Amino acid sequence: MTTDPARTSLLTAPPASVAVAPTEPTEPTAISIAALGKRYGTGPLVLDDINLNIEAGQFVCLLGASGCGKSTLLNIIAGLEKPTEGTVTVASGKAAVMFQDAALFPWLTAGRNVELALKLRGMPRAARRPAALELLDLVNLADAADKRPHELSGGMRQRVALARSLAQDRKVLLMDEPFAALDAITRDLLHEELERVWKQTGRTIVFVTHNVREAARLGQRILLMSSRPGRVVNEWTITDTGSRRIESPEVARLGDEITDQLRQEIRRNAA
Amino acid sequence: MPPETTTRTLTAPAAADSAAADFAAADAAVTDSAAADAAAEAPGHDELRRLEAGLDSLQAVPETPRGAVRRTLDGVVPPILLLIGLIVAWQAYIVIARPRPDLIPGPIDVFGALVSAWSSDRLQIAVLTSLERGGAGFLIAVAIGTPIGLLLAECRPVRRALGPLLSGLQVLPSVAWVPAAIIWFGLTDATVYFVVLMGAVPSIANGLVSGVDQIPPQLRRVGTVLGASRLQMATLVVLPAALPGYFSGLKQGWAFAWRSLMAAEIIAMGGTIGFGLGSMLQQSRELADLSGVLATILVILFVGILVELVIFAPIERRLLRRRGLMAAGLR
Repeated sequence: MTTDPARTSLLTAPPASVAVAPTEPTEPTAISIAALGKRYGTGPLVLDDINLNIEAGQFVCLLGASGCGKSTLLNIIAGLEKPTEGTVTVASGKAAVMFQDAALFPWLTAGRNVELALKLRGMPRAARRPAALELLDLVNLADAADKRPHELSGGMRQRVALARSLAQDRKVLLMDEPFAALDAITRDLLHEELERVWKQTGRTIVFVTHNVREAARLGQRILLMSSRPGRVVNEWTITDTGSRRIESPEVARLGDEITDQLRQEIRRNAA
Repeated sequence: MPPETTTRTLTAPAAADSAAADFAAADAAVTDSAAADAAAEAPGHDELRRLEAGLDSLQAVPETPRGAVRRTLDGVVPPILLLIGLIVAWQAYIVIARPRPDLIPGPIDVFGALVSAWSSDRLQIAVLTSLERGGAGFLIAVAIGTPIGLLLAECRPVRRALGPLLSGLQVLPSVAWVPAAIIWFGLTDATVYFVVLMGAVPSIANGLVSGVDQIPPQLRRVGTVLGASRLQMATLVVLPAALPGYFSGLKQGWAFAWRSLMAAEIIAMGGTIGFGLGSMLQQSRELADLSGVLATILVILFVGILVELVIFAPIERRLLRRRGLMAAGLR
């Protein structure tokens, strides 16, 4: 903490009634998953009986060890894979997806990459350029519009990918470990950036990660998955809407708690 | 086991008084920063922007572009120096060892043969005829090889059936087709074109196939996620992504076309077949004019190098540099 909490809270502590109310279940459901199961061919069950309702505008973190099927679940929500049983409904139609690898098209500049998404969405040619610049500005990269992906750092590429996902103008944004390949400093900044973009655009975000602290830092709702088969075994809801820092004690405490459970789940696989 | 789901509320301000003391302190900090955020959204954002801009500039790779003149000099000077060195060594050998001039002519004899071929207009006609046929044959090969390659790359059954055959054709020397072509088409230009196509089409098709194969699967997934239709996927994602592989296929296709053309011209002479570089080579051989033979070989070599340097190399350099695929030393 950079400021002394005790002192500043005396000065500016708001009355309890002002504190931002948590988003109540009055919010419509953005994604509903019922009795979802997935297996590949005749292999073992990857996902088993997943039941989930995700409210519109919620930031949900999907957390689990490797092989728990969290990426599979995300791909199913994205429509990239088909469930073996059960149903997935995304209320707003399709979802935007962002991967661990920025996967920008290397033959296009950053601006053109965003414009391509706008084009595939059906935006008329004349409107694309200004819209792309606006989106790049949202992730603070307006100056890099004419750069090619190989001229950008990993963090910048990931931000262009974020702008490209936002260009799809879909209410649901699915993110598959988007910051896993970045260094800690960049990742920390991108957490802040993502949180800001989320608040500004009101997207529903499902964020897959294996980083407990990251989940505790970002999520409003954290779902812990077990491995083999993947089930949702526990969940935490964080109702304050202020920014948390990854170093802050409450993130650390929540992280410890989740880590304990996670380890318990992993230990179960030892036998 | 049914999933046991416990929902806990962390740091809810309303419930703060019931929480433990250390919780309360953390609460205060959180609600405080939330309030600060709400009150001063703009400066906070500004701070983040500057932080990001700073990190971006730290992580940016500084480019050290070299001027076009410098780049051209770097590319042109070493081969020219080598060429001069080779000619000097050749002339020195002639002067020192004095071999029979009809078996080993010197550079001056060869140059003389070139000049006499030029002054009798044979050289110009041969170069133009061959270049025209090579160029036209290559373009036809591109027009045929590209759709075949696309079909092969995108359609599995076709690939299983036709893939091995095409690889085999690529290995088969296209000269082997000359006798058959002469029987089918006689001594006409059709024979020459047929041989050129049999040489170039498999290379171009195979180049496109390997270009498509090398596309990272992630790029296609992105195309799907962005909602590309089948046609959009092909034109906006697959083709541009496969371009480097396709281009090297084109380069190889040209090389095969040029080689096949020379072979065809040497073997098939007369009839309505025009006078190309291969024909000039064969004519010199019949006259036992070794200087003429060597001069023609040099011209064939030179035309090949020129096409590579003037047409293919600049396009390739641009293609690769734009994608960051070029090693720093080759820029």
